[in-house]
Amino acid sequence: MLNILKTENLKSYYIFETPTEKKEVKAVNDVSIDIEEDKIYGVAGESGCGKSTFLKTVCGLAEPPLRIVGGTIYYLVNGKYVDITKLSQEEYRKLRWEYISYIPQGSMSALNPIIRVKESFKDFVTAHKKIKDEQKDFEEPLRKHLNALGLPMRVLKSYPHQLSGGMRQRVTIALATILNPRIILADEPTTALDVVAQRAVIQLLKDIQSLQKNTIILVTHDMAVHANIADRMLIMYAGVFVEEADTEELFENPLHPYTKFLIGSLPKMGDKSYKVSAPGSPPSLANLPQGCPFHPRCPYVMDICKNERPALVETKPSHKVSCFLNSKERIQND
Amino acid sequence: MTNSTEELIRTEKLQKIFVVGGGFARSKLVAVDDVNFHVKKNEIFTLAGESGCGKSTVSKMLLGFLEPSEGNVYYKGKDVANLKKWKEKKGFMKEVQSIFQNPFETFNPLRKVDSYLYDTQKHYGMSKKDKMVEEALEAVGLDISEVKGRYPNEFSGGQLQRISIARALITRPSLLIADEPVSMVDASLRMSIVNLFKELRDNRHVSVLYITHDLATAYYVSDRIGIMFRGNIIEMGDVEQVLMNPKHPYTQMLKESIPEADPNKKWTERISIKELETEEYMRKGCKFAGRCPYVMDKCKDNMPPELQAENRMVRCWLYE
Repeated sequence: MLNILKTENLKSYYIFETPTEKKEVKAVNDVSIDIEEDKIYGVAGESGCGKSTFLKTVCGLAEPPLRIVGGTIYYLVNGKYVDITKLSQEEYRKLRWEYISYIPQGSMSALNPIIRVKESFKDFVTAHKKIKDEQKDFEEPLRKHLNALGLPMRVLKSYPHQLSGGMRQRVTIALATILNPRIILADEPTTALDVVAQRAVIQLLKDIQSLQKNTIILVTHDMAVHANIADRMLIMYAGVFVEEADTEELFENPLHPYTKFLIGSLPKMGDKSYKVSAPGSPPSLANLPQGCPFHPRCPYVMDICKNERPALVETKPSHKVSCFLNSKERIQND
Repeated sequence: MTNSTEELIRTEKLQKIFVVGGGFARSKLVAVDDVNFHVKKNEIFTLAGESGCGKSTVSKMLLGFLEPSEGNVYYKGKDVANLKKWKEKKGFMKEVQSIFQNPFETFNPLRKVDSYLYDTQKHYGMSKKDKMVEEALEAVGLDISEVKGRYPNEFSGGQLQRISIARALITRPSLLIADEPVSMVDASLRMSIVNLFKELRDNRHVSVLYITHDLATAYYVSDRIGIMFRGNIIEMGDVEQVLMNPKHPYTQMLKESIPEADPNKKWTERISIKELETEEYMRKGCKFAGRCPYVMDKCKDNMPPELQAENRMVRCWLYE
């Protein structure tokens, strides 16, 4: 299996500078990760753990105050690895939407409110493709695309306000995938939707993946959504990935203490046993504790945890974890 | 768990009509219609439903933020609308306190959080000697030294929500109305808030009206549950019975649509969405008729009454 996306020691910080002080918020703090082709990845973590920032950074959308401080982001484009941090704007523009697609948070409000949905699709397609014959090059593929995704044709003639939130969200997803991108980065696409609409969106994302055979990285804090859609999961805590495993394995056999809390505290129907939350609260990314970022809340804390940062190591086949309980490997301080 | 059957709050035929638009486009939207339920002493009652089902409107009417268009709210047998004297109103406010959805919006970012606690104490005529603030904070697992002199941005969402519960507890209320109290709180801290409600019920005999869209926490925490759909309570009863063995077709669909945090229970069936929200509100008969798999002719014109089936209330013609 080929890796479509590869980051090496990626660091991206929010940097606030005033003449007297400099504040760094380490939202993505030394992340090395391989994303395989043709899979749905789920990124889970609580708010403020850096999961949205990770997505923005790998998407090439880092704008001040967010800055890529170090590391590389490689995409596999036509059999070659391209570092998008070194691309010119024009080269990157060609990759965007055709190769990398992004569904931002709250994308229900991404549609232009004063033009019909069809015009939005047209704007989008003409920016990337030359349309000679409107019927053949635009209308037909558009209808085919919507049909395949099970969206009604009447949405094309509607203005965004005439559609419900769930429908708008699905239209935005259809828009983001019309150019058949190889990788889709979706940031909380189901948050703020009703349960039924949420289910429809999950179904839609699954359909797109099985039709277009691309990779989806889905960021959400909702573990139930992950359980339903993700093939493989990444758990993020305080700017780093602390665990990576296939979804079934992660739910059945979590290794990192944080993941254990996260999964153990999920309420389930038909189970009234007492659930406990992790003690304490997540650290501020501007003021990270020394050593493992989870150590102030960890019930198994050891001396080494307070000084050294554990590396993300494969301890079982295709199950990676960054915790000294499982492996003694540490991140070398530079 | 419920050793007393005394009712704290009861609603009768509660209705709220909003006027939408103006001029010739004026139309009425019945946001809440014929809602009857009660909360007993020492119990957690959940009002659950999707967004736009009217559950927050009900909570606002109970708290007196909105006036019901029709129907009454009774607190300990007295009609709340008849509490004209300030002293009576204050007595009601003292016993019924509320917690809101977003802890970051509850507190003014420029004010120290402890000032809210002391203001509440002063407002209800309690002196500092009573140590009410300290006691309330202790009940939610915080210490006054952690809170004193600090601003809202120094706390996490979970901590702020605890402080907001502590504020509500200062008056020693009998009923807490919590409107989506955990939806803005991080997953790893969510259960600590929910467990707190259980503790308050068991140790301090506080009843909680828990309003949520999250059926999993509702199942975990509550004693009884009412499922709302487009302004009506369509099924109400013991939480174990309603959620584990739902009778109303909407409750069945809702339960089926909620993703479970278990990769072995992925959805296999496909769904399709047809109708728009406003169309459903305007329906004459059962509001669910447009999507119901068991729809009959009767359903389209007549709203089903509150029927009894298997120890619960169901509004569905199937159980006539």
